[in-house]
Amino acid sequence: MSLNELSEKVELTLSNLSILKTGKAKAIRFSTLEAICKALDCQPADILEYVPGKM
Amino acid sequence: MMSKTNNFVFIVLHIIAWLIFVGLSVEAGGYVVNFFFSVYKPELIPNLYQKLDLTNLYSNSPLAFFGLYGFILFVSILKACLFYTVVILMHKINMEKPFSSLVASKISRISVITVTIGLMSYIALQISKNLSHHGLETGAIHEIWADSKAFILMGAVIYIIATIFKKGVELQNENDLTV
Repeated sequence: MSLNELSEKVELTLSNLSILKTGKAKAIRFSTLEAICKALDCQPADILEYVPGKM
Repeated sequence: MMSKTNNFVFIVLHIIAWLIFVGLSVEAGGYVVNFFFSVYKPELIPNLYQKLDLTNLYSNSPLAFFGLYGFILFVSILKACLFYTVVILMHKINMEKPFSSLVASKISRISVITVTIGLMSYIALQISKNLSHHGLETGAIHEIWADSKAFILMGAVIYIIATIFKKGVELQNENDLTV
């Protein structure tokens, strides 16, 4: 799925998706997480990863 | 979104800031001219800006004269710089998204300049009072620094606003990076 398609499905702008993709985001709303999980048919754990010592 | 009244007030404030900046620049220039005439052509002083005549002080104590004129020039130039910063701030500020690091740094600079003006004016006022007490004629010089305490108070208030503004910038950045 391309970024354009995903941005249409989850109703996020491309710049916000880019912030998420590059790891610059400081926080993510539950509504955004829900929309992404719905669009990709996955669980939050599938797209989130804990890396020790990285903020 | 700014209301029409706010927009109008903002434009008026911008114009007033420009006028004050021009006025203070003229004042600072006037003092510079006065200074050179005091040293080289003292007889023309009564025709000059504010008729600030310190020629007696110059003949009695050149050190006190240059010291006090140094304070006068420093404070008047700093006042012009202060309003230049205000003008730039009002020019650069985006009222849709006011919490930017540029605006925060300008407000911090305004607070520093204001406190410096206040402290310098207060020190200069005390020195000139001390000189008068010791019999040196300082003329109407006290009036120039009459507003020192107001500047210190204003600088302190602006410093508090600048500190709050910095926190606002952090919150704005966090909000921008929340998706």
